Amino acid sequence: MLGLQPGSSTVVPTSAPVGHRFEPYDSNGGSIAAVCGKDFCIIASDTRQSTGYSIQTRYKPKVFRLNDKATLATNGFAADAEAMVSRIRQRLEWYRHSHGRSMPLHAIARMISTILYGKRFFPYYVYNILGGLDEEGKGAVYSFDPVGSYEREFCRAAGAAQSLIQPFLDNQIMFKNQHSTPEHTVPKPGEMSLPDVLKIVMDSFTSATERHIEVGDGLEMFVVRTPPSAQGEAIGAASVDLKAMGGVEAVGGEDEQEEGAVMVIRRELKKD
Amino acid sequence: MSAGAGESAYSFSLTTFSPSGKLVQIEHALAAVSQGTTSLGIKASNAIVIATEKRAPSPLVDDTALEKVSVICPNIGIVYSGMGPDFRVLIAKARKSAQAYWKIYGEYPPTRVLVQEIATVMQEATQSGGVRPFGVSLLVAGYDSARGPSLYQVDPSGSYFMWKASAIGKNMTNAKTFLEKRYNDDISLEDAIHTALLTLKEGFEGQMTEKTIEIGIIGTSTVGPVGGSGLKAPLFKKLTEAEIKDYLAL
Amino acid sequence: MSDITTLNGGSCIAFKGKNCVAIACDLRLGNQALTVACNRDKVFKITDKTYLGMTGLASDVDTLRSAFRYRLNMYRMKEEREIEPETFAHLVSSTLYEKRFGPYFIEPIIAGLNSNNEPFIAAADLIGCLNFAKDFVVTGTASDKLFGMAEGLWEPDLGPEELFESISQALLGALERDALSGWGAIVRVITPDKVIERTLQSRQD
Repeated sequence: MLGLQPGSSTVVPTSAPVGHRFEPYDSNGGSIAAVCGKDFCIIASDTRQSTGYSIQTRYKPKVFRLNDKATLATNGFAADAEAMVSRIRQRLEWYRHSHGRSMPLHAIARMISTILYGKRFFPYYVYNILGGLDEEGKGAVYSFDPVGSYEREFCRAAGAAQSLIQPFLDNQIMFKNQHSTPEHTVPKPGEMSLPDVLKIVMDSFTSATERHIEVGDGLEMFVVRTPPSAQGEAIGAASVDLKAMGGVEAVGGEDEQEEGAVMVIRRELKKD
Repeated sequence: MSAGAGESAYSFSLTTFSPSGKLVQIEHALAAVSQGTTSLGIKASNAIVIATEKRAPSPLVDDTALEKVSVICPNIGIVYSGMGPDFRVLIAKARKSAQAYWKIYGEYPPTRVLVQEIATVMQEATQSGGVRPFGVSLLVAGYDSARGPSLYQVDPSGSYFMWKASAIGKNMTNAKTFLEKRYNDDISLEDAIHTALLTLKEGFEGQMTEKTIEIGIIGTSTVGPVGGSGLKAPLFKKLTEAEIKDYLAL
Repeated sequence: MSDITTLNGGSCIAFKGKNCVAIACDLRLGNQALTVACNRDKVFKITDKTYLGMTGLASDVDTLRSAFRYRLNMYRMKEEREIEPETFAHLVSSTLYEKRFGPYFIEPIIAGLNSNNEPFIAAADLIGCLNFAKDFVVTGTASDKLFGMAEGLWEPDLGPEELFESISQALLGALERDALSGWGAIVRVITPDKVIERTLQSRQD
C-alpha cells in the first residue's frame, strides 16, 4: 500500500536540473541567384530573414558589394555570413594595401574557398555565390559550398528556393532542352542582354515568392559592369540606363568606387 | 400445414411462391397501396410535377404537420400512396443513400441511381426473412444533368418504371385514363400543374383546397444554389399553401 | 532514407490551357538510387477525356489503379454514362480518405475536359485533400522543381501546341534537377476532338 504512514516520510523532488545545450547554428531562409552575361553580372537575393516560421525582418540584405568588380551573395546562417563577409573585406583591404590594386575576381574566389575550408570542422554555414567581372571584363559567376568547393558557371541559384529557381535558370539562361529550328536559333549561354537577364531574375524571384514561404518581401539585384564612364562610347551593358529602372549606386566594401560600376535595383516582393 | 388449401397455404411465408407463380404477400401489399390516397406525377417539357391528396383521418388532427411530399436531396422529391409509416422508413433510407452518394462523388445522385437504391431496399423486403413488403408505391421526381427531368414509379415488389405521367393509389385507374387523354409531350410546367389538379379533382372526395392537396415541382424554372458550391441547378420545391391556392383559383 | 514516398521516384504535372489540358509524367521506376525500369507510365486513362496521374509508392499506384478501374466500371454500369472529371476528383478524394489512418502513399493529379469541354485540373494529397487549381498542378519527387518551372513558364489561354511546348519544358527542366525522376517522359494534350500523346526524349541518367 502506498501512502504515508505515521512516522515515515517520502522525499518528492519538486524540481530537476534543466540542461541547456548551445546550438551554434540557425537557418535563416531566403534565396540568392546570380547570372552573368558577356560584359556584366547580376547578383540577386530576396531580403526576408526568418527562423522557422518566424520572420525576423523583411529587409536584411544578403548581397554585399566587395569592390567595383566583385559582389558576394550569401545564404544560410546570417550571423556566419556577416562574420565571413567582414573577414573577406578585411583581407581585400590588406590586399589593396600590399598590392596597390583591388583583388581580381578569380583570386577572391580562391581566397573564399580557402577561408571556408579553413573552418572545415566548424564551418561557416553559408552558401556563397560570387559574381562580377573577370580580368578580361567578362561576366563571371563562382558558386561555393559551405566548406569551399567551388566552380565558375554562367548562372547559379542557392538557398531555400534553389530547387525552384535553378531548373528555371537551366531552361532560360542555359537554354537546356531547347533546340534550334530553321526559324529560330537558340542562343549560346551567357550571351543574353542585361535587360533580358534582369527580367528572368525578377520572374525567378516572383515565382519563388509565390510558392516558398521563406522567400519574399523585397528583391535586390546588384548589377556589376564596366562603368559607362570608363568607355569612350557606351556599348553593351554599359549603355543600359539602370537609373531609369530605379538603379542606385551600391555602397559598402572598398570605398574607392567608380560611378555606375556596381548598381543595385530594388523591387518589392509579396509579403505574405 | 395442410396441403390443398389453395393460395392461402402460401399466404404467410413471404418467400414462398404459390403454384401459380405468385408471391401473394406482394399482391397484398399492392392492395394496401390501392387503398391509399391518390397520388400522381406528370413530366412536362422541362420539369416534373408530383401531387397528392392529403386527408386527415379526423378533423381533430392538426394537419399542418402532415407531409406526403418529401424532399430527399436538393434535386429529388418523392410522393407516395399506401402506408404512411412505411413511407417514412423509405424516406429515411433514401435520404441517407443520397448523402452517402454525396460523400463519395461531391454531388447528389441522378434520379435513376436514387430510384435504384430505393427499389433495392424494397426488393430486399420481398426476399428476406422476418420482414414484410413495404405497403407503398412511390412517385419519384428528379432532375439531373445526365437525363434532365425524370419521373419514376417504384412498387412494393421493387420494380420501377420511368413514366411520362402516372398515378397510384385509390383512384389510379381513372386518373391514368384521364392522364392518357390529357397528356402530350411538350406541355409547360404551368400546364402540367393544372393537369395534375384536374386529374386529382376526378374522384376527389370532399373539398379540394390548398389544405387537402400537396404539390412538388422541379425543373429548369426552379433553379437555385446547391450546397455551398455556389453552382446553380434545378431544385425540388414544394408549393406553399398560398401558391396552391393561386393555382386552384385559376 | 527509407522514406517510402520517395522509394520509387517519379513525377507528374498538369497544365490547364484554352479549351484543352495537358498532363505529363516521367518514365523512371527506381529502388532508391537504383533505376529498375524506364517505361513506367504514371498517367492512366479514366475516360476519353479524363486522365489520372499518380506518383509515390509504385505498389500503391498499381493497387489504386485497379481500385479505380473497379469503381469506374461500377459507376459506368450503374449510371449508364461516363464520369465527369470533377466527379472523378471527388471519387479519388473519398477513396483516399477511406484509408485516412493507413494511407496509400500516392499523390494524384487529375486532368480532363468535362462534358461541356471546359478544362479541369485537380491535385490531392495522400489522404485526399483536393486542390482545384486554375493554372497547374504538380506531384512527385520533383514537385518543388516543377513548381518553380511551372510558376515561371505557365501562362493563361495556351492552345494545344503551345501548351504541349510549355508543359514539356517545365517537366524536362525539373527532371534534370531530380535524381529520382527522368529517363524519358510522356506528354498528353487533351482537346475536345482528340488526345495528342507524345513521348519525349530526355537524358538517360
